[in-house]
Order: sequence, then structure tokens, then C-alpha cells
Amino acid sequence: MRNIKPIISSLLRSKSGPVLLLTQIVLSVAIVANASFIISERLALIDRPSGIAEAQVLSFRVYNFDPAMDLRKQNQQDQLILRDLPGVIAATSTNMVPLSGSGWGDRYVDGPDPETAKSLPGFSFYMGNEHMLNTFGVKLVEGRNFYPEEIKMGPAAKSQTALITKSIAEAHWGDESPLGKVVYQQDIAITIVGVIERLQGAWVDSSNFEYSVIQAVDFGGAMSSTTYLVRAKPQDIAQLKLDIPKALHLENPNRVIDEFYTVAEHRGHSYSNHELMAALLSVMIVLLLLITSLGLTGMVMFNIQRRTKQIGTRRALGARKADIVWYFLTENYVICAAGAVIGVVAASQLGQQLMNHYSLPQLAWQYPAVTVLGLFVVTTLAVILPARRAADIPPSLATRSV
Amino acid sequence: MLSMKNISKVYQSELVETHALREFNLQVSEGEFVVVTGPSGSGKTTFLNVAGLLEGFSQGEYLLDGVDVSSVSDNESARIRNEKIGFIFQGFNLIPDLNLAENIEVPLRYRGFDSKERKRRVEQALEQVGLASRLKHLPPQLSGGQQQRVAIARALAGEPRFLLADEPTGNLDSLMARQVMELLENINQAGTTIIMVTHDPELARRAQRNVQIVDGQVCDFTSYQKSRSTTSTTAEPA
Repeated sequence: MRNIKPIISSLLRSKSGPVLLLTQIVLSVAIVANASFIISERLALIDRPSGIAEAQVLSFRVYNFDPAMDLRKQNQQDQLILRDLPGVIAATSTNMVPLSGSGWGDRYVDGPDPETAKSLPGFSFYMGNEHMLNTFGVKLVEGRNFYPEEIKMGPAAKSQTALITKSIAEAHWGDESPLGKVVYQQDIAITIVGVIERLQGAWVDSSNFEYSVIQAVDFGGAMSSTTYLVRAKPQDIAQLKLDIPKALHLENPNRVIDEFYTVAEHRGHSYSNHELMAALLSVMIVLLLLITSLGLTGMVMFNIQRRTKQIGTRRALGARKADIVWYFLTENYVICAAGAVIGVVAASQLGQQLMNHYSLPQLAWQYPAVTVLGLFVVTTLAVILPARRAADIPPSLATRSV
Repeated sequence: MLSMKNISKVYQSELVETHALREFNLQVSEGEFVVVTGPSGSGKTTFLNVAGLLEGFSQGEYLLDGVDVSSVSDNESARIRNEKIGFIFQGFNLIPDLNLAENIEVPLRYRGFDSKERKRRVEQALEQVGLASRLKHLPPQLSGGQQQRVAIARALAGEPRFLLADEPTGNLDSLMARQVMELLENINQAGTTIIMVTHDPELARRAQRNVQIVDGQVCDFTSYQKSRSTTSTTAEPA
């Protein structure tokens, strides 16, 4: 670093190349820091566990067209048929499928008087019977599952028991157990009988995604089409996609059975935009770093050509090869350090704008810091090879006319 | 001080083998001012490069300041150049982006001197060449003669055992050439050994000793003493 002062003097006296590179580094830091932050936010969203045995849970719809069909009775019969199929671990009808992008939502209050009652967080509203917990493969951490006699039929049924996720309990009651608490859905009093460790809702971008409730209602048969969930080992899923339509058509051929997707496939579809954005931003980061490092390599190579005689002279005056390599590395670090300082400010400003306009969280300081570190590594790699070539310039060049 | 015995330097390309120096022998004593002359392509610059450890040689023995430098490492030869040899180039070889003080500091930084010592040496060297007031000037703001004086100051700042000058007046007009030559003579009188390569017969006559190189060999070895009074007759620097 003993050359730093003359290097700064030299850079200040021939500004155009370094200023261009500085601008490139500032933009790189600002964009790469924010893009990395957005990518990590997206990846963190994608990585959230749903609580469900996603690869084991198969959803499908049954469209009934027979006006004479007793839909509720047929639903009960169909669930029995599904549970009897080889490989099926559990099956239930449902009003919505987790992570599917389509579902129901509601909100409880904690008292009968609307004036004084406090609202619980909004939640994804599952209606299911005593088989739903096992079908999802979710973990009950407190209380109990529904008893069969608690299950009401149809959406208008006045269910009096519910299972809630731990996230709702903690958000409203903190450390206090929610078991036995009575909440209200309009005028219906509902007792909380169990707490589920984790169960996500249908909309991956919802702020209430982690808040879910299962109410003791068998929704199947309430409408002409019914959604079913079947849990089986992943290796049995493909065969079940063939066996389920056969079995249900055998029972009643006047219906369409379609839309077979595992929850894992729903997850892939729901997060596809996030994945696409993360991939595009990753490509952009790589391209930006590549362009910056190529720019730097180009500048160093140009400088070496421009300063060939100067390098020879420095060698003649006593510079070791290592001194020449350090000269170019130091020059790079000076530009990078200036670019990093301005870039961090620019990154923070850009983050602020993104936060204001696109509801992103505030840019964490680690991202500009890691970006700057990464940039130092990338630019070192970009400079080291041409710098070593420069160090090979012989001192005898000082006496030649070049 | 400098002793070369049977030095050979061969440049090898795929097709041609060029003998730049052949069985080259030269002894230079401490305090001498030796001028090396010869036609173009005779090997003057090669001799200077070998003498200044700017490049190696193929055969022979070279003792510099009593030390055999035949097989020193790259780092060691850089150290010897930095500490013992001062270089003066025909094209001055100043760094245009650095001011005069920074230019003179270049070899001093490689030597690891602290800023106080560097400042002292820079000021002293610039004083010696009559440019003390131009410390912050950039090389392009000076005339050719002044730039060469800065280059001499850079060479002197390291207090070398000897100076190697490669056509130091080659790019200067006759007046400036005389001024630079007078400066070199003064430096020599102060005790620094100087070896100077030149084409200029007038300058050659002013040296204590003239070595002529033809076809890579010392062909005519003329040694003569000139009176100090004759050599010191020059004009004041512009």
C-alpha cells in the first residue's frame, strides 16, 4: 500500500477511464445489493415450510352433472371409496387446497359483543372432517382432533369446534393456551379444541399465509363440484391418478374427475413467478459482475499497454514483480473503495425507492456489505492476470524506444 | 567498482542468433567518468542493460561493487538496481501523471524510506539540479532539459554508487545538452562513478575515459585524463 498516494494522484490526473469504471462499480453495488436482497427475500418465501406432507397429498376435483344426484350422500360414499383404495393413507373432502392460489378466508373475534371484541388475525379458512389432519400430514401440538360427531355438513353448517395454527394463537393470546377459548364467527360461537404446529393457506403472497383454521365442516356435496385430498406415499401417487377416476366412475360414471395435482405441484406453480424473478435477477447479477470485471480487465490491459515503458522504468528503478502486481491491485482497490462508498449510498437510496414503490422490506446492511466484498474478490480476479503480465515486462524496456 | 570479464550476450530467435556482446571486458574504477561510444547496433545499449542489471548475460563474469551478480535472482537484481545504480534515460522516462516530487520518490518508495526521509532526499536532489522551486510541477510543464535534470535528480536521490546514463543528451538541443553534461561532471566530481553511452563525439571528448564498442567488443580503449578546469567550462542552466 506504499504506492497509494501517487496512485490516487495519478488517477485524479487522468480521470476519464477511472470515472467510467467508478460509475460502473457504483451501479453494480447499488443494483447487485438490491437484487441480491430481493432474491434472498424471494428464496426465503419459497423456503417457508407449509407444514404439509406436500409430495404425499394429491388434490383433484369431481364435477357432478347428474341433477338427480344426492351430492352429500355421494360425497360420503366417494370418501369411503377413496380411503379403501390401495396405497391411500387418508382422504377427505375440502373447500380449498393449500398453496393452490384459490381458497377461502375469514376472521374471528374473541367476544360476542362486536363493540368490545378484538379481532384475531385474518386466516385461511379450511373446512374439513376428522380425516383432514392426517390427510395433510400436519402436526397437532396441543389439544385434540375433531370427533366424528362434531362434523357438520355443508358450508352453512354451524360448526362449533375449530383447530387453529400456533401462529394465530401466538399472535392473539401470546404464551397463553388457546384451548377452550371461544371465538365468534358472526353469531356462531366456536370452541378451539386443538392447535396445529403449522398449516399454510392458499395464497403464497398473503400476509396471513401462515394463519390457518380448520373448522369441523364436511364441505363435500355443498356444490356440484367437490375437491378431494388424498394422502399416499409419493411412489403411489402416479398409480392413484389412474385408480381414482376408475374407482369413482365405477360408483357413478356421470361425472368428470380432473385436475390432479400434488400440493408440491401447487407450490411450484404458486411460486413460479418468484422463482422466475430470482432466476432473472441472478442472471442480471452475473452479467453485471461480468461486465464490471471485463471493464476492469480492459482498463488494466489498456493501462498496461499505455504504460509499458513506465512499467519498464519502474522495474529499472527497483520495482520487484510483486510491486508491479500490487500497483495495479492497489489502483483497482482505490477505485473499488471509492465505488463501494458511493455504491452503498446509492444502494440504500435505491432500496428506499423500492421500499416506497413496491412494498419491499428495508434493505438489510449485510447485502451492500457482502456485495462490496464480492466485488473486491471479483475485481481482484479480473486484475490479477493482466497485472502479472505487466510484472513480466522486462526492466530493459526502459532503455528501448517504444 | 565494475568488472566485466569475457561477457557474452546472445539474443536467440527461431531463425537468427545475434551476438550483441562478445567476450566483452571492461573495468571501471570508483569515481571514474567513462563514456561509451560506438556506431548504431554495436552493442552500447546491451552493455548498458547488462551493466545496470536490466537484463542478464549469456556467459562471463560480472562483479559489481565486488559482488558477483552473474546469477542473482530477479528480486535481488531489483534491489541492487534500486540501491546501487542510478539510471538516466535518453527519453527521461518520467511518469507524466506524477509531479516532480512524486517522480523522484518512485525509487525511494521501493526502497521503503519513510515520508520524512523521502521528502528530505527529494528536496536535496531537486536543489542539486536547480529545480527546487518546481516540486509540484508535472513533467509536461517542463522543457526537455529540465525534464532530464529531474531524471538526474531521481537517479541521485537514492545516493547510488554509480550512474548509468543512456544518451542523456540525445533528445536535447546543444545548449541544454551542455548544461546536462556539466551537471553530470559536477556529480562525478562529487564522487559518483558515471558510465555514459553517447553518440556525441564532443561529449565523449569531455569524459575522463572513452570506451568504444564495435560489434559487441571493446575495440579501442583510450584512456586519458582531462584537466578539471577544461571540463567545468559551461554556461549556467536556463
